[in-house]
Amino acid sequence: MTAIADPKAPRPPRARPSRLTTRGNTELYGWVFMRASGVVLLVLIFGHLFVNLWAGDGVKAIDFGFVAGKWADPIWQVWDLLMLWLAMIHGTNGVRTIINDYAERDGTRLVLKSLLYLAFLVTVVLGTLVIFTFNPCPDAAPDLLPSFCTAR
Amino acid sequence: MQIHQYDVVIVGAGGAGMRAALESSTRVRTAVISKLYPTRSHTGAAQGGMCAALANVEEDNWEWHTFDTVKGGDYLVDQDAAEVMAKEAIDAVLDLEKMGLPFNRTPEGRIDQRRFGGHTRNHGEAAVRRSCYAADRTGHMILQTLYQQCVKNEVEFFNEFYVLDLLVDHDLAAGHVPEGEEVTVSGVVAYELATGEIHVFRAKSVVLATGGAGKIFKTTSNAHTLTGDGMALAYRRGIPLEDMEFFQFHPTGLAGLGILLSEAARGEGAILRNSEGERFMERYAPTIKDLAPRDIVARSMANEVREGRGAGPNKDYVLLDLTHLEPAHIDAKLPDITEFARTYLGVEPYTEPVPVYPTAHYAMGGVPTNIEAQVLRNETDVIRGLFAAGEVACVSVHGSNRLGTNSLLDINVFGKRAGISAAAYAVDAEFVELPEDPAATVTAGLELIRTRPDGERVADIRKALQESMDLNAQVFRTKESLTQALEDIKALRKRYLSVSVQDKSRTFNTDLLEAVELGFLIDIAETVVVGALNREESRGGHFREDFPKRDDEGFMKHTMAYRRPLPTDGHRQWGGGDGDTEGRFAYSEVFDDYQLVLGSKPVTMTRYQPMERKY
Amino acid sequence: MTAVLDAPAEVGAIPSFTVTLRVMRYLPGDDGLTPVAHWDEFQVLCHGTDRVLDALHKVKWEQDGSLTFRRSCAHGVCGSDAMRINGRNRLACKTLLKDLDPSKPITVEPIKGLPVIKDLVVDMEPFFASYREIMPFLITTGNEPTKERLQSAEQRERFDDTTKCILCAACTSSCPVFWTDGQYFGPAAIVNAHRFIFDSRDEGGAQRLEILNDKEGVWRCRTTFNCTEACPRGIEVTKAIQEVKRAMITRAF
Repeated sequence: MTAIADPKAPRPPRARPSRLTTRGNTELYGWVFMRASGVVLLVLIFGHLFVNLWAGDGVKAIDFGFVAGKWADPIWQVWDLLMLWLAMIHGTNGVRTIINDYAERDGTRLVLKSLLYLAFLVTVVLGTLVIFTFNPCPDAAPDLLPSFCTAR
Repeated sequence: MQIHQYDVVIVGAGGAGMRAALESSTRVRTAVISKLYPTRSHTGAAQGGMCAALANVEEDNWEWHTFDTVKGGDYLVDQDAAEVMAKEAIDAVLDLEKMGLPFNRTPEGRIDQRRFGGHTRNHGEAAVRRSCYAADRTGHMILQTLYQQCVKNEVEFFNEFYVLDLLVDHDLAAGHVPEGEEVTVSGVVAYELATGEIHVFRAKSVVLATGGAGKIFKTTSNAHTLTGDGMALAYRRGIPLEDMEFFQFHPTGLAGLGILLSEAARGEGAILRNSEGERFMERYAPTIKDLAPRDIVARSMANEVREGRGAGPNKDYVLLDLTHLEPAHIDAKLPDITEFARTYLGVEPYTEPVPVYPTAHYAMGGVPTNIEAQVLRNETDVIRGLFAAGEVACVSVHGSNRLGTNSLLDINVFGKRAGISAAAYAVDAEFVELPEDPAATVTAGLELIRTRPDGERVADIRKALQESMDLNAQVFRTKESLTQALEDIKALRKRYLSVSVQDKSRTFNTDLLEAVELGFLIDIAETVVVGALNREESRGGHFREDFPKRDDEGFMKHTMAYRRPLPTDGHRQWGGGDGDTEGRFAYSEVFDDYQLVLGSKPVTMTRYQPMERKY
Repeated sequence: MTAVLDAPAEVGAIPSFTVTLRVMRYLPGDDGLTPVAHWDEFQVLCHGTDRVLDALHKVKWEQDGSLTFRRSCAHGVCGSDAMRINGRNRLACKTLLKDLDPSKPITVEPIKGLPVIKDLVVDMEPFFASYREIMPFLITTGNEPTKERLQSAEQRERFDDTTKCILCAACTSSCPVFWTDGQYFGPAAIVNAHRFIFDSRDEGGAQRLEILNDKEGVWRCRTTFNCTEACPRGIEVTKAIQEVKRAMITRAF
């Protein structure tokens, strides 16, 4: 005779009045966003991989100059920015649903989600800052700089 | 103990109970008490359909339907009631459609209809398409639709509450009715399964809608919960039970299991065959063959088996053959029942015939009511505030044999009427004083069983009862077999006095409730057997081999079974108000502390005179 | 003319065998103390056509009367006896012992995610509360027709699958999302909403979609297909949920 945990359900049934406030299109848009961003991310990521690892000299061509050269081009700035944001929102939302599905207590949920949103915020802010404030021609290590720096 | 007060209390939440609740809850304060969740009720197991002369697919009218009902019931039907039912059938079906019931449709988008046993055009010329259906799940759809409407109307349910006593101001079984006095209902006593608490419901009107009592038999299509509670409650209070000897055996139960395969199978073209492959119904009912009424088909099947033409290793069943039907047609019209055959017998109905044998299916008898669903306490007087509808009641629209689909009709037509009558009565009536300590008997009875350290097992007694009933009071009956059954019942009643349960807790004690239900079963079985012994003729569902002919001279009347006190000082005494002044009581059977007295009630005939019943 | 069938199939004698039932017990006493759930084992002699429900009945009737479970019709139409058998949600009355490998112990537990009252009996109220919330009844406007509302056979077929639901809770209590906190509406409620949303006669579809467009509504479905697998009526539950999602998206854009 092995004792097991109390089989009572984890929570009492939901309180009716409070749940009326949780209706709305948020989850619907979230659901649609996951699918749409997924498709866009496929294009963005494989485009990124192709350009970085395959086109031209392939992976051997990657160095500071290569990256700096890309981010001097506004198209690549937008590309990478989109990729960063979509991937972060997509991933964060995915982890959020996992927390909702598996964290049983409200407290656990709150802590996990706070950590998640913090991580999201830090990554997105730093990433965005880097993309827009990136200096392609710093003073150090001139031999790694992209070609257009020498023009100055 | 808690006390509740409602204008109307409905006992039972199957088709009839919920149909009544829909009417009564919009008029007065209503509670529905059910020993199950409403959607678990056995209405949901009904398959074939619900007949109404809509004439959507071919010519039909309600008068033909009335005739079929009367003839199907072997003329023991109260014809005024049958007429009401056939007439109101049309609106009953349309009501359900408007509530959202998903009927199968004709190409024009109207409710589709199909053939069913015993339903004919123009007084028996040929089978007619009268049954409105939703695949082979019509009962399921009716139950769901009615529950959906109850949710919409916010009907108050007390689920998993067992009603264990009916409160009346004068106990007829104790002979306590002063001459000329009315008998009035004052409520019910219920037991809450989850907590073991007793609840007293004070009510102006009580509607009994508790369904049948198929569990008195071993082989039955009925649910485990169909233990005749409502009938037994009434009977214990001295309210008569009418025509209890008429029990319908459905021809096509899965052999050995009793699980129902709808008559719709035969309606769609399936054929019954014996071990020689012969379509034997051609011999018994040359005109409508396999679609003859259920009593005739069941008896024919039993006869084939008795005469050695049964199929299988023990030659103890016959075969239902669907193999000539298109699999697509079977899937569209009979999906559930073919699945039953596959799941439970491992038989593939597309290619193999299905073993079937008659199974106890429906109690034609029950608590006598008039067409307003008021319960009668003798041939003419009503019990004020007490109503009944559905299988628990005997209106009597089914007479000695119910036609297929007429039960779903019965619950809708008379359920509705009961709801309206109960509410109308409650509007004008006053509450009746509850007896002092109304729950005393129930509490004492339950505690006695619950705390008895050891004694007889419920399952043993129940098994003995069911086996005796299957052996002695089934399709074929004789004086000897019935006497044997009665002896068995008397012996089992003695054993029941020392019944005990192993579960001693108060929480969800189903062990205890099974013991209580067994008490109900014994009561019902006794009325069935005594009624059958007394009725020395064969009619509809009741077949006496020693009296194989119908005897209109002696028995064209309803049986009324009363529980009354034991006779005192040597001569019969029935209790006040029921004096046997005109020799109404033909028979009495003495039990240990009461006697079962049989009286009669005349059959109402309007249009149709009894004729020989041939198909 | 009498039709004659070739020699009918003979059904052989039915074999008997002993099975071991491992049943989760949870017996609250009258002392008010919270009991501890534990496993009990029972040996039962069964026949080839017996179902798990028959075995449970044999235990209750012959060995231990305190074993508690719900049952009624015993042939899979009332929905009383949904339980977790060998780790899968099924109806005890529709599960044949011989299909379960009777040589190993058969485990029987209450369905998950609902509070256990006693042994295999759970509190169904939260389940029915979700059901009631989706307005499971026909909603129409305007005057009622004198006769029936017309509906073509195709329109009727559109929602046929979801009319089969018997509210046994096998689907809802098989859903991992429901197990977590029991706040999700659950497959059964969505199936019953589907039954009306896709009924051509119904005019309350928009309201129901609004209700299910909840944080705890259809969007919590992760399409794990547990519900479809669990449904004893063979309803394509996950498909029904997806159809409701699609209806919401079409409505929103």
